[in-house]
Amino acid sequence: MRAQFVFHEVWIGLRRNLTMTIALIVVVAISLSLLGTGLLFVKQVDNTRTYWQGRVQLSIYLCTSTSVSPQCTKNGPATPAEIAQLDTDLKQLPEVVSIRYESQAQAYQRFKQEFSQDQSFVSTVGKGDIPNSFQVKLKNTEADFPIVAETVDGRPGVDQIVDDSSILDKFYKLLNGARNAVLVIAIILIIAAVLLVANTIRLSAFNRRRETGIMRLVGASNFYVQLPFLVEGVIAGLFGWLVSAGLLIAVKTLWLDTLQQYFPFNVQLSATDLIEVIILAMIIGVLLCGATSFLTLRRYLRV
Amino acid sequence: MIHFDNVTKMYPNQSRAALESVSLDVEKGEFVFLVGPSGSGKSTFLRLVLKEERPTDGRIHVAGKDLARLTNWKVPHLRRRIGCVFQDFRLLPSKNVYQNIAFALEVIGKPRRFIRKVVPEVIDLVGLEGKRDRMPDELSGGEQQRVAMARAFVNRPMILLADEPTGNIDPATSIGIMKVLDRINRTGTTVVMATHDAAIVDSMRKRVIELEYGKVVRDQSRGVYGQAY
Repeated sequence: MRAQFVFHEVWIGLRRNLTMTIALIVVVAISLSLLGTGLLFVKQVDNTRTYWQGRVQLSIYLCTSTSVSPQCTKNGPATPAEIAQLDTDLKQLPEVVSIRYESQAQAYQRFKQEFSQDQSFVSTVGKGDIPNSFQVKLKNTEADFPIVAETVDGRPGVDQIVDDSSILDKFYKLLNGARNAVLVIAIILIIAAVLLVANTIRLSAFNRRRETGIMRLVGASNFYVQLPFLVEGVIAGLFGWLVSAGLLIAVKTLWLDTLQQYFPFNVQLSATDLIEVIILAMIIGVLLCGATSFLTLRRYLRV
Repeated sequence: MIHFDNVTKMYPNQSRAALESVSLDVEKGEFVFLVGPSGSGKSTFLRLVLKEERPTDGRIHVAGKDLARLTNWKVPHLRRRIGCVFQDFRLLPSKNVYQNIAFALEVIGKPRRFIRKVVPEVIDLVGLEGKRDRMPDELSGGEQQRVAMARAFVNRPMILLADEPTGNIDPATSIGIMKVLDRINRTGTTVVMATHDAAIVDSMRKRVIELEYGKVVRDQSRGVYGQAY
């Protein structure tokens, strides 16, 4: 009885101000999808970051016969003795966790494998173009980098020392900036959504003032008077969320997943990540609409 | 049933009190007319009984409850024991006779079986047999007021408040309305009716309380509308 009555009232309310309801659903949908996109972005950045963290953090490129830097042209390509010396010296540094020597052949092999999707690019690089190198893993990249760099820099046979994290930092800055922009827009839209919910509920309360007047008169409890409005807000929120769930699935499959082609490794978000974000969006949407309509009504339906 | 003890009601921004030091008692099962010119405080009295307004001073007891000590969330329970009828009927235009009456029970969460049983009974009591599917705009003023009375009475309240129930109705039809109110009163329900209608008051010979400028100027059992000392 109660449930049927409430849903009948809700249906009347939603139908009576259909345009406002549609506007509400659209705004909720867009703000939730933007929020969700921001959250997916965060997860995506985390995904790539975790990948890199387990990787090489410092590369020491050695001189080859094709190197053009003044240092290499002066000393010539790194000799096996120089390489062995570097290896022992690096191993003695307490800041170094591990080192791996990669020969030119190995480097070329890895390069071919990582860019196997792009054969035209692979064909432009020759076997001797990629220098041999030491891949050094440090305990603490930022603090330890200068110490290690100092020990090996300028030695015969050493071409370039590259801090991988400094390259990644720029990449992360870009991603973080994009994420922040998305989140700021999402928050502005959520504020708009809250105001729209408040307005829609107010309009609905005004439309039904006759009913609510009689309800109060015959002694309906405050909760009973407010429930249809509350459910109305929550249902609009749920519809908005459904639309946003669709949009989020689209964002993931049509946009984020295509990022994969720019990465040699797996950065694709799992379905669990997506479901997590969608569920979070639902909770936010429902709480937002429910709380807003409840607070709006408290001002309009006093005993 | 209704007990006013030295009640004063001041509205904000008004120099004169709407009710001034009103003390009176209405016993269970009584039928009381509240008479007096417009602005004499009749409506304020009814609103105070419903706790739609709070008195500036004095104590009010309704159905054994001290209204000052009644918390806001218990006010609905007070109102379930009080039925209300107004000059303008206040029916829902989109609901038919049956639905309008059932609405009062639905919103206080009564089970459907109970509603199906009592609504037809009360439709018979107010004399609207065979009109349960009519919409309010298909009914005459008198019939609409009968629907309003059915809605006010369907939950068997202890008190029925009527604010000029015959104000929009011609004298001949008003007699029928009064008959229904009398029938409701005979079931043991206390009836308080605010009115301007001298003919009705004179013909009923019930207790009359006359208000003037917010003060009780006459309280007479088996009274008439005008001054009749």
